[in-house]
Amino acid sequence: MMAKKIKMTNAYMGKILWVDLESSHIHEEEIAPTLYRQCLAGTGLAARILFDRIPPQTDPLGPDNIICFVSGLLTGTGSLFTGRWMVAAKSPLTGTWGDANCGGNFSPAIKRCGYDGIFFRGTSPHPVYFCINDGKAELRDARDIWGKDTKETEAILKKTSGCRMPRIASIGQAGENISLIAGIANDGGRMAARSGLGAVMGSKKLKAVVLDGTHRIRVNDQAEVKRLSQKCNENIQFMPPFPPAFVLAYMGAILRAMPAQPSTEALMFNTVYKRMLQKWGTASLNQILIELGDSPIKNWKGSNEDFGPEHSENLNPNVFSDCVIVKYHCYACPLGCGGICHRPGLSGETHKPEYETVLALGGLCLNDDADSIFRMNETLNRAGMDSISAGGTIAFAIECFEKGLLTLSDTDGLELTWGNSAAIEALVDRMIHRQGIGDLLADGVRVASRKIGKGSAEYAIHAGGQELAMHDGRYDPGFALHNCVEATPGRHTIGSQMYYELFQLWEKVPDLPEPGLIYMKRSKYVPDREKAVAAATCSKYMNVINGSGACLYGALMGTEDFPLFEWLNAATGWRLSPRDYLEIGAHIQSLKQQFNIKQGIKSTDIRVTDRALGRPPLTSGANRGRSVPVEKMVQDYWKALGWDPKTGTPLSGGKMDREI
Amino acid sequence: MPFTITDKCIGCSVCKKICPADAIQGEKGKLHKIDPNTCYECSACGRICPQSAVKNAEGQFIERIRIRKNWPKPSINTAKCMSCNICIDACPRACLALKYTMDTADKKGFPVLARSRDCIGCEFCAAACPVEAIVMTVSLV
Repeated sequence: MMAKKIKMTNAYMGKILWVDLESSHIHEEEIAPTLYRQCLAGTGLAARILFDRIPPQTDPLGPDNIICFVSGLLTGTGSLFTGRWMVAAKSPLTGTWGDANCGGNFSPAIKRCGYDGIFFRGTSPHPVYFCINDGKAELRDARDIWGKDTKETEAILKKTSGCRMPRIASIGQAGENISLIAGIANDGGRMAARSGLGAVMGSKKLKAVVLDGTHRIRVNDQAEVKRLSQKCNENIQFMPPFPPAFVLAYMGAILRAMPAQPSTEALMFNTVYKRMLQKWGTASLNQILIELGDSPIKNWKGSNEDFGPEHSENLNPNVFSDCVIVKYHCYACPLGCGGICHRPGLSGETHKPEYETVLALGGLCLNDDADSIFRMNETLNRAGMDSISAGGTIAFAIECFEKGLLTLSDTDGLELTWGNSAAIEALVDRMIHRQGIGDLLADGVRVASRKIGKGSAEYAIHAGGQELAMHDGRYDPGFALHNCVEATPGRHTIGSQMYYELFQLWEKVPDLPEPGLIYMKRSKYVPDREKAVAAATCSKYMNVINGSGACLYGALMGTEDFPLFEWLNAATGWRLSPRDYLEIGAHIQSLKQQFNIKQGIKSTDIRVTDRALGRPPLTSGANRGRSVPVEKMVQDYWKALGWDPKTGTPLSGGKMDREI
Repeated sequence: MPFTITDKCIGCSVCKKICPADAIQGEKGKLHKIDPNTCYECSACGRICPQSAVKNAEGQFIERIRIRKNWPKPSINTAKCMSCNICIDACPRACLALKYTMDTADKKGFPVLARSRDCIGCEFCAAACPVEAIVMTVSLV
């Protein structure tokens, strides 16, 4: 099928592409301009379409599920930090709305092909890959590459697809084996990892999406977009001196010892964080967050005392940044928190392991062997398996082994003990290939605990089926709340009390609550209206971010240095206020919630494992004695969104409250 | 207003041959036409046309540049460049590539004109660069 005419639109392309994998029929659908004003693009557009088109009670691994690859409204407009692509479908891991997003260079390729999104339905009778080249869209046989890992797949398709500069998203063996914790990789190991959407691709026999297009992306006021980008870049390039990495652990320890907490504004953390990301990437957080109590340790039952500096020193930020051969920037990113690493003594190269990966395979399993983390990072990226979920599942298995619920005969001789890096590595391989004990664990902790039984559910740390990321709700109750209330439970990139402080949205919407410069730590655990409004605002704002294709790390610099609303107005020609955009964000949140309700998911049924909420509280370490009154917080949050506080049902019924 | 070929056209087809979007149709010796739905306005057709027969979106004739090597090419100021890849993505001919010079402390890569012969001087890279790190220059060699 050849792409049809280019419409004169601003920022968005005005159409999406539908691909039926069963019949191979491909057709375009024009999207009304009003829909962009209601939902933006990205996950907002996906939410509108999937809510309308996926039938109730759909099997996430069946032909009726729709998986879509969508680009952001700001992608390709000249704005910065706006190169993320998003994938959405009904999640097989949680049974709810599922989305994930990723950087690299795949997002602009969707728009360069002339579309805001590509939507797949049906199931192919044999492995295929989808390709758009020179405006021609088609499904091609992928039997030859089925079984290859994501890096091999990219290398082969770059040679054989006939594209001049193909951008490729693919699944590895994990997705092919329909592991419910499989993700989708691009750019040699970037990963849209969460929600198990690699399994949806695998179930549809869709190996890869290959895009190469040359459509221009129109912008309403290019000069204004550039002016905003230049100002943003000036702030980014201003890099104040920063202490060496070993200081970070001490900073965490000092902050932990204080009864009061300085707000991120008081710590000038927006500036500090930018510097840390630029210098070390997300791995900069490795030690400081352990010391603060934000990093869960030993399957959430341990603390910083179980993985103190004598262990975490081996995972010091320098351990990772010293191996960087070259820096890696995602599309439209002036900061470049990524890197391509080569670890002396290890073969090959790998993307710099992220904080989440290091802690999930490190502190969560009491593993301080950096070599093993480098190797597993590459193995998981190649196989297309979520490192957060993989680490969480391995930590669960180790605890089951410790408690005698799994024995050596169950593990085929693997000594699954805390910190046994060789056994942990072996288990990763078995999970990817569903071998022996790996088959039991390949679908995450909820499925595994149901199979094991014997009370193992207590050690299966998840929210609604999804393994929790490496941010502890007992340290920042905002994480616990968003784990519970988001349409995709267990996502850590939506909101927290710290995120709200960093977003600084009160600068643009003055009636939003502004935290004090310093406050008592115990006050974080007391639910109140201000915290509920702050949490609801995080959800709304992140929907605007994900509708724009923007990066959370850009947003964490604060709205003054990251002019998202101004970019949106300049690129589209709209004249909307920040409050209007947050209202759009609320509408998207409502659509995702309605999606779950349509699929028969009760919001009140989504549970986070008690241990992660401090029930019972830890008796030692940074989070000792802390528990999160999440039930009250959830009700307050729903009320702040204008939903039924008892059931979490949006009252708008999928419609917008007013025309924007 | 779309790009158009005026009746000065002699049907030599050089525009059709160079058009990276395959947007030009026409038989040899006859007036050629640009498909406005496919054209992405790179101006290569106008620069190569021996009759200067092509009008741009503003309705002005595009000036012919007789010698291809004198077509403007991007020159990248690495002191300004953010390494953001926007220019690489903007190039319809995939002429730009990231090159790691290894001589910077932070191991950044910068775009270079890797396939100079494919460059059609469209200026999309320069127009897309948010920080004006690219200027189009004409080689005097």
